[in-house]
Amino acid sequence: MIKNIYKKYTVIFSLLIVSASCTKLDMKPTDTIDPGKAFRNIGDINMGLIGAYALLDNTMIINNSIVSDEAMLPTENTVSNTDAYRWIYTGSSGSVTALYSTYYTAIDRINRTLAGMDLLTLTGADVAVSDQYRGELLALRAFMHFELLRAYAASYQNGALGVTYLNKSTFDFLARDNFETTVSGAKADLTAAKSLIPASFTDKSRITRIAVSAIQARLALYEKNWADAITYSTEVITALPLATRAQFPAIWTDASETEIAWKAKRVATDSRTGDVYFRQSGGIVLYAPSFKLINTFDKVNDVRYPAYIKFDATRTGTKSQYLVNKYAGTTSVPGLADIKLFRTGEMYLIRAEAKAESTGDGAADLNALRAARITGYSNAVFADKDALITAIYTERFKELTFEGHRFFDLRRRNLPVQRLPEDAINASGAVTLLPTKAQYTFPLPAQELAINKNAVQNPNY
Amino acid sequence: MTKTILLDRLNKHALTKRVLLTMKLTWMIVMIMCMQVSATSFAQQKISITAKQVSIKALLKTIENQTEYRFVYSNNALANDKKISVNIHEVSLDEAMRTLLKETGLTYTLKESNLVVIYANKKSGKDVVVSGKVTDEDGLALPGVSVKVSGLSVASTTDGSGAFSIRVPDNSASLEFTSIGYIKQTIPITGSFMNIVLKADNRDLQEVVVTGYTTYKKSQSASASTLVTAEKINDVAGLTFDQILQGRVPGMSVISSSGQPGQSASTVIRGIGSVNGSSTPLYILDGTPIEGGYFQTINPEDVENVTVLKDASAKALYGSRGSNGVIIITSKKGKAGKVQVQYSSQYGFSNLTEGKTTMMNTAQRLQFEEGVGVDFKRTIGPGWTYSPKNPTYINGTAAFRQRADQILDSLRNINIDWRDQIYQNSKFQEQQASVSGGNENIRYYNSLNYYKQDGIAKRTGLERYSLKSNVDFKDNKFSGNVNITIGYSNSSFTEGEGGTGAGTAMSAAYYALPYENPYAPDGTLIHQGNKANYFILDQREGSQALERLQNSSNKTNQLKSVIGTSLAYQILPELKITTRAGIDYRNTTDQAFINPDSYYGSRSVANTLGGKGRFDEGTRRNFNIISTTGLTYAKTFNEKHDFEASAFYEYVYNNYNEFNYTGFGIDGRLPETPAGIINSAAFLPIVGGAKTTSALASFMGVARYTYNEKYTFTGSYRYDGSTKVAPQNKWHGFYSFGANWNAKKEDFLKDLSLIADLNFRSSYGTTASPLSGNYNYLATYAVNTSYNGIAGSRPVSPGNPDYDWEYVNEFNVGFDLSLFRSSRLRLAADYYDKKTSNMFFDQPLSALSGFSSLALSTGKMQNRGIEFDISGDIIKTSDFTWTLGVNAGYNKNKILHLTDAADQLLDGDTRVFKVGLPYGSYYAPNWAGVDPQTGDAQYYNPDGSITTTYNATTQSVAESGSLYPKFTGGFNTSLSYRGISATALFSFVSGVKRWNNEDFYNENQRYATSNQSLRMLEDRWMKPGDVKTLQRFDVPRNFTSRDIEDASFLRLRNLNIGYSIPKNVLDKIGLIKTMKLFVQGQNLFTWTKWRGMDPENNSVYGRFQYPNARTYTAGLSANF
Repeated sequence: MIKNIYKKYTVIFSLLIVSASCTKLDMKPTDTIDPGKAFRNIGDINMGLIGAYALLDNTMIINNSIVSDEAMLPTENTVSNTDAYRWIYTGSSGSVTALYSTYYTAIDRINRTLAGMDLLTLTGADVAVSDQYRGELLALRAFMHFELLRAYAASYQNGALGVTYLNKSTFDFLARDNFETTVSGAKADLTAAKSLIPASFTDKSRITRIAVSAIQARLALYEKNWADAITYSTEVITALPLATRAQFPAIWTDASETEIAWKAKRVATDSRTGDVYFRQSGGIVLYAPSFKLINTFDKVNDVRYPAYIKFDATRTGTKSQYLVNKYAGTTSVPGLADIKLFRTGEMYLIRAEAKAESTGDGAADLNALRAARITGYSNAVFADKDALITAIYTERFKELTFEGHRFFDLRRRNLPVQRLPEDAINASGAVTLLPTKAQYTFPLPAQELAINKNAVQNPNY
Repeated sequence: MTKTILLDRLNKHALTKRVLLTMKLTWMIVMIMCMQVSATSFAQQKISITAKQVSIKALLKTIENQTEYRFVYSNNALANDKKISVNIHEVSLDEAMRTLLKETGLTYTLKESNLVVIYANKKSGKDVVVSGKVTDEDGLALPGVSVKVSGLSVASTTDGSGAFSIRVPDNSASLEFTSIGYIKQTIPITGSFMNIVLKADNRDLQEVVVTGYTTYKKSQSASASTLVTAEKINDVAGLTFDQILQGRVPGMSVISSSGQPGQSASTVIRGIGSVNGSSTPLYILDGTPIEGGYFQTINPEDVENVTVLKDASAKALYGSRGSNGVIIITSKKGKAGKVQVQYSSQYGFSNLTEGKTTMMNTAQRLQFEEGVGVDFKRTIGPGWTYSPKNPTYINGTAAFRQRADQILDSLRNINIDWRDQIYQNSKFQEQQASVSGGNENIRYYNSLNYYKQDGIAKRTGLERYSLKSNVDFKDNKFSGNVNITIGYSNSSFTEGEGGTGAGTAMSAAYYALPYENPYAPDGTLIHQGNKANYFILDQREGSQALERLQNSSNKTNQLKSVIGTSLAYQILPELKITTRAGIDYRNTTDQAFINPDSYYGSRSVANTLGGKGRFDEGTRRNFNIISTTGLTYAKTFNEKHDFEASAFYEYVYNNYNEFNYTGFGIDGRLPETPAGIINSAAFLPIVGGAKTTSALASFMGVARYTYNEKYTFTGSYRYDGSTKVAPQNKWHGFYSFGANWNAKKEDFLKDLSLIADLNFRSSYGTTASPLSGNYNYLATYAVNTSYNGIAGSRPVSPGNPDYDWEYVNEFNVGFDLSLFRSSRLRLAADYYDKKTSNMFFDQPLSALSGFSSLALSTGKMQNRGIEFDISGDIIKTSDFTWTLGVNAGYNKNKILHLTDAADQLLDGDTRVFKVGLPYGSYYAPNWAGVDPQTGDAQYYNPDGSITTTYNATTQSVAESGSLYPKFTGGFNTSLSYRGISATALFSFVSGVKRWNNEDFYNENQRYATSNQSLRMLEDRWMKPGDVKTLQRFDVPRNFTSRDIEDASFLRLRNLNIGYSIPKNVLDKIGLIKTMKLFVQGQNLFTWTKWRGMDPENNSVYGRFQYPNARTYTAGLSANF
């Protein structure tokens, strides 16, 4: 009997051991890509680059409109968070702080892609292609830092708080660089990029060699490096002449790419650029062109006016009859419009300003631009440098409106934001924003300051 | 095994022998009790003997050779062993024994395990036969009831029809009736025929703690657990089974996540133990683990009882899945006897439980608009545009003024309560039929259920079909069961629940203006798309919501099946092998549709690409299989050493698959089907999906040792290997120790009748919480991004190479006490201390890193608490019973450690993680009231000074309390008088704060063009000296401690009044054996300070979530 029991036990335990050996614990994830497989070849590098381009959006455009004097809040907009428009934003206001993390995310993607690229051994045709990608990555990294600098630098002066320039992916809690350090980081990347991107590469949805020149020109303007500004803007002007008055409207319907150096292409699945000005749902004008802006235009002769501003007499009551037309899109896909990042019009204004500040003959570029936009324009003469600079500023206001420049242009020269009373009817008293106010610079996100003990907030917040 | 024990009953000097024998007998009986399974089929053994002049002893030997019966008798009893002749064929033991002992003056009694004891029948010749019938309270026959003569060993059992017959000495006073699950009855013998009714005994269930791997007597279990029985779960209308448990289990917080019919609640046992992991308990249905959160198809009517395991000694058996507690659901089993057919049915309706916020009516709204216009020159509506106080009116033409007056007059005639447009009184019905029965070897329970509950929000509802089949079988050493649950449900949802955006149904009930009449006189809905054709002065926010509601649908159907089977084989008397396999399968199909022919569907936006509607369909398939095999060794040594040990191997495999697509360009003639989709470049469809698998392999051992029924020690060890943690942490062991002291068995308490039962328990052990994702440790890239139509890649997660389980160490000490005879007052109380270590914290990262956070396993958190459960029978007479029960749990949660770098981290935008504070602590500037002189909003600086400047970054403090309740529980009472019964359950949740984000929109100048709360008119600062709640109209409204409201509540959760129709009435009708009628209500009253829609919601903010319904039903339940 005892033996029997042992036999039974033996059988049972061996059965148990057999069943235990069906342990299967070697499963692999099916729906994710691990870092080892992220950058296997040159095609994967392009995907990483595309992932960075994907973060380009219209935030800079709408933020400039809302906080400056180029747009007004119509009474019909009862749906928006209007803190930014009323200049009461703080580090907790997502509208003005979101860009900070978005663009650093793009920079991280670029740095990871560059690191992935360094590990590849490339041969044959891939080598040339990789040079182009590396050039694009470096230029895009410079551009993203420059955009962050425009938005979050305490001011555009040497010694002022700039933004941290990142050449590699990091989890460290880093301090802010000074303005000039950010600028020199961007300049170095742009210089390197320019030698890598072949002249034959002309896809305007991405960064071409001419686009690098355009970025360099704008950077030089903010740096007040007038010589560089003239050099680089001239490179663009030479390569991409101004659109004619006949060609001009087609730029804004995306039918033409004349004088465009680089634009963020929008496709059907993207969020629509124009939605920030006009909400399709309910047909609400969220932000309308300011009367201040409308008043500066020669409505009859200026080809820019109908391209930029739409008048709709059928809108009555408290509805705004003026609408932003720059990103109206098509009737089938309203609001879907490419984001024009760099174009020759801006280059003329950069060169005019640089020349006015340095060699003093900026009027020619200003007149050339006006002549290309206004029917029957005759060249103007300017009394002195100040008059010329004022005229260039007004022209920038008109030419580059709703393209993300106005607020930063005012900041470049420490000028207040000054709204007309008719533009401030819903502003709860937000008529003048003086440079001494905290809101004259965008705040860093409160979250960043809470997490990163080395980060410093902009003054007065 | 053949053994004959010689008994010298009459020899008074053989005392030692007697003691020895008693001991041996006791030992045998205890042994036999451990062999429940094998002692099965003796009733079938037939005896055939043909013999002439053979001694009785020899005949007994013959029977022993033929059957498994064994005889015990005193040699004295058969001293003059006379020889007899017998001729019996295929007869039962009783008949054989009567023949054999006919002229001996001896009688016999059959003990468990085929043991037949023969002894002298002193009153031989004067026996009487008593027969009768035993039924339950419903009048159904009870087979297998043991019938015993008090004080003697004469015993019998009832047959399949509940009938019994027993020979009793004529001077015997009474009979004892016992059956598992029923209260023992001792009835004086009144005649030769007796009808006995046994009452169900739920306390019997309370005596056992089922963990899924072990079944220990409560007096031998170290575990803190709570049992909820069928009558508290069945018949409750309109709630899923987890919601029904609210207020029933001390230490378990059950908070609804939505009033949507069929939506599962958020269930937390003994405080939240994880921040980023899961805090959902593990649910086990008849041995098979089932997914939490999917109870739409589980029919509560089929639930026999629910055991909630709360302490480590029970949870550690579940190792890495156990730390959030385990809820063991046991479904109904058939009972041996005649086929029982039961039918129950109930019908009812639900309506809205109103929140405390009152919105303005038309007159108030127009007054408000005018007031704002006069004071601030701001136009927020026609009340100012056409006001006689408006300069435009004063300076206007007579024609304008006349028209303005007309407009305001006509607006005043409209007064819409938008709740009526969005909510409805909804219908409810449920039908259930079950058939159960069986014999001693096979028992079955089958049920069918139909359930239909319309929601109180229009367009919502749940329809369910469910089927249950349980079969239990046993044959000698072999036993097993098969449990099948299949359910199919159809749910329909409302539009945009739980958001503050305009244009969704729930928010529209508040935002829409009272003078917004949605319909034109001809019945046309006037919305954003066609309002140009009408003269409209309101925002059309309500109509927009209605237009969306009426022209879209959002449905989910779910097919769920839980199938389990288990087999056990008693290899040796002390050794049993068991194997169990279970499958939990769910297939969910989600469908959403937007009508292309509506305004909502006709706009060319991303949501309805190309402006021709939208159709979404997706399936989610979850497949979970578990297999457990093990051995259980149970033996009692030397009577006092009761030992039981088991070893198991378990494997769990999960496979999840998801596929979905979105089509655009819908043809309006083909609604709600993929056939209506146009595939073209203009209507580019979207395709998505996911796949993942995971597995868990475990080796485990569990043991119990009880000394002399007094002291019990338990221990367990489980070694888990998982695919979910980083490879170097794949295997980990979990252990527990426990002890129980059954104090009642001690000499000093044994005879104290005041204390009926007293146990002390304590346990300590480690567990882990289940991980929410499958490969969270990996750094990952994905290709779900694009630019200019070209696919790109992006890093998704930085990964956590040290990713490991979140370990929970838990200590528990408690006691169970029953007082008075028949345990009239019962008390259980526990104290626990639970520490989570290795807890995941998302260390927020600098924006420079490109990620918002990095997962770290550095956190520590503690939950400490006490819980108790008292119930008592206050009055208990044969006609009238009044019972009262209270249970509650107090939990104190504290974060002990975050990361090495920080002891404070933001948790979203309104909460903070801070060492020393509870998880879920709100973080807001303290509100300092409205300045009575200026009407400015005032805030406290951290130094205590008051300012009118708001700065969330510098002013926020964590002084507003936490989102997770501290104190939860319930009290219940029941009254019964003859056939009438009434039960009530109150549940309460206390020490909980929630962010009321509704006020932020309903009392905010920024949104004043939408309707506002009445406080904006009546309780707003207007002139110096006003002491008001709300600031001056033009002062921005900011998030402060004022928005963090007390969401504690007390709710009359359930009230049920029933009447059982007397048996004599039913007997006249025939056919129906028992019948009960009842009316009941859910959520009848709520007491709360919360101003939002419903205090009961698990979300961090109140944002127009679907409120819970108040439900009234009436029904009947009948047995045939």
